[in-house]
Amino acid sequence: MLGYILRRLLQLVFVLCGLTIFLFILFETMPGDPARVMAGLGASKEAIEAIEVKLGLDKPFYERYWRLVSGLFSGQLQSMTYHERVWIVILDRLPATVELGFFAMVLSLFVAIPAGLLSAIFRNSSLDYVVTTVALTGISIPIFWLALLLMLLFGAILRVLPVSGRGATLWGWSFLTFSGLRHLIIPAVSLSAPLTALNARLIRADMLQVLRQDYMNTARAKGVRESVVIIKHAFRNALAPVVTNIGLQMGIMIGGATLVETTTAWPGIGRLMYTAILRRDEAVVLTLALFIATFHMVSYLVVDILYVYINPKVSYE
Amino acid sequence: MNKGVLEKNSGTICRSYILSLLLPGLGHVACGWWHRGLVYLALLAIQGGMLYLAVMRHRLMSSVTGSSEYWFPTLMLLLIFLVIWVIALLDLRRLIQASGKKDYAQSYWQKVEQCFVRDYKGLIGLAAILIVCYVAIFAPFLARENGLKMDLLNTLRLYSDGHLLGTDEFGRDILDRLIWGSRVALGIGVTATFINMFFGGSLGLLGGYFGGAVDMIIMRFLEIINSIPYLVLALLMISLWGSSIPMLIMILGIFGLAPARIIRSEVILVRNEDYVLSARAIGASDFRIILHHVLPNAFASLLVVGTMAIGSNIIMVAGLSFLGMGVRPPTPSWGGMLQSAQRFIRSEGWMSIYPGVCIFVIVFAFNILGDSLRDVLDPFFKE
Repeated sequence: MLGYILRRLLQLVFVLCGLTIFLFILFETMPGDPARVMAGLGASKEAIEAIEVKLGLDKPFYERYWRLVSGLFSGQLQSMTYHERVWIVILDRLPATVELGFFAMVLSLFVAIPAGLLSAIFRNSSLDYVVTTVALTGISIPIFWLALLLMLLFGAILRVLPVSGRGATLWGWSFLTFSGLRHLIIPAVSLSAPLTALNARLIRADMLQVLRQDYMNTARAKGVRESVVIIKHAFRNALAPVVTNIGLQMGIMIGGATLVETTTAWPGIGRLMYTAILRRDEAVVLTLALFIATFHMVSYLVVDILYVYINPKVSYE
Repeated sequence: MNKGVLEKNSGTICRSYILSLLLPGLGHVACGWWHRGLVYLALLAIQGGMLYLAVMRHRLMSSVTGSSEYWFPTLMLLLIFLVIWVIALLDLRRLIQASGKKDYAQSYWQKVEQCFVRDYKGLIGLAAILIVCYVAIFAPFLARENGLKMDLLNTLRLYSDGHLLGTDEFGRDILDRLIWGSRVALGIGVTATFINMFFGGSLGLLGGYFGGAVDMIIMRFLEIINSIPYLVLALLMISLWGSSIPMLIMILGIFGLAPARIIRSEVILVRNEDYVLSARAIGASDFRIILHHVLPNAFASLLVVGTMAIGSNIIMVAGLSFLGMGVRPPTPSWGGMLQSAQRFIRSEGWMSIYPGVCIFVIVFAFNILGDSLRDVLDPFFKE
């Protein structure tokens, strides 16, 4: 097990190195000159050159790559547009995204587990049709349009929820204050929609497979109550594939957060990524990409390790 | 029901062929296949309506005399007429030959077709997709303007004379823009998916089939690409390389590598089957084995993955345009329309309804078609 974890961590390091090189090459191939953009329209040649020297753009590429990577790990990398160290910029906005993602995930599990369970148990009933149709809708609906619709309905027409922004925060968290909580509802609900739909479909499919197994009949023949059969024998086994998919869903969530945060003006890292990309702030984009990738891959790893405990049949030598 | 007629009366058959040559569908009706006949006649009526529209707006003539915008839909109009004629005749021939005989053996694809026709979900999806395709092809005939013409006296109207779905902030007709937007959505979505399937599919195929070092390199590459969300990656590339439509197609096509993993796992399943082993034993080349044994087995899942991928690519293009990084503003696109609608969310909220509905409907259609195909193509599918 330890060997497996070490191997995976090594793989993680390899992928992160590959990612830095990949992104660095991307920025190198960029048409246009960041120094010229920063200097503004009609800047003199000297001013542009001064900025180039200040940013180190006059050095050869391997030196710049090394500067970037060493700056990344020493935490000294400066953002070109925020004029601050990148880590401070990111940490500033991290809580907003963490609480958004957390609430979206919790909401999705709260809705998806009962919905998936019930639709599998009452297969081909009208309830099942409603759940599968709603789930398909959730997968097909563009997340930013859902956010717009919710803003329109609850913000502009009914006027019960704020249209955008984050509201008051307490210790950097907005769910601790009433106004922050009200601001959180629309982004969290729209972000949770695709996750809910995916989870409900997964749970339904897995439950259907488990319900067909022989041990279900064995349990019933033993005289176990139906509710116990469903919860203890079926649901636990159906849950395993859902857990494996959480890693995948993290990716969906971060991509979705970019859209939702931009739509609802939620000041998280998704929106930071978007503005940094727009302004071509290499340091922020690179650090954030590495951060997201690390998070993504570590969550995959944690899920794979957890899987051993959920499904005793699996072991990694 | 009409078995006797067809077996004995060759006059009826001859007459139905002639009728079908005159007007597709009449032959079917004459032989008593009412349903099929009416479908052909309805298709013909829709085509006729389009022809009427084009003629009335003097756009058919313009295709001959100059305006390059009109030659494509004109060509398609004629082509679809021809296709309806030919298919109706072939279908009639097949039905006449098959009537009176009963086939007991069924091939895999016959069974698939039979199941698919019974599955209303997939049929609804397919119908919706075909309708949107039709609108996209004939956008120059259907739309009254090119979606760019401004009517500055009538801006931000919910409904005004001649503007069925109202106008946007520049007084451009929203219905026209929706019609033109279907071209962008489907065009980019479908083309990008084809590149996806080709590029991602070949990566998965190579990795899965050859294994070892090739597989290792491909999988690490996929991991690097997959470690940051697809949307973020696409945003980054577009912001760096610009957002022309060909660039959008290339970026979505090359970096949407989701098919690779699925094809790979499919290929690994097939690779160790006995029939592949025996093919190799009699000296078949790798290329031949991939073409004749591996690909046909992976085809079903390719089809399902591809259908779903078109939907997600359409959402992707809309999302990028919504963020202002996809299709550039004057070109009508559904995502771009939502972006401009967002600014008027407090005062003119209705603006954000129509484009979203369009995106949702087409993506939903591709998803239910994909769902239904997955069920139907599964050899062990039971109703």
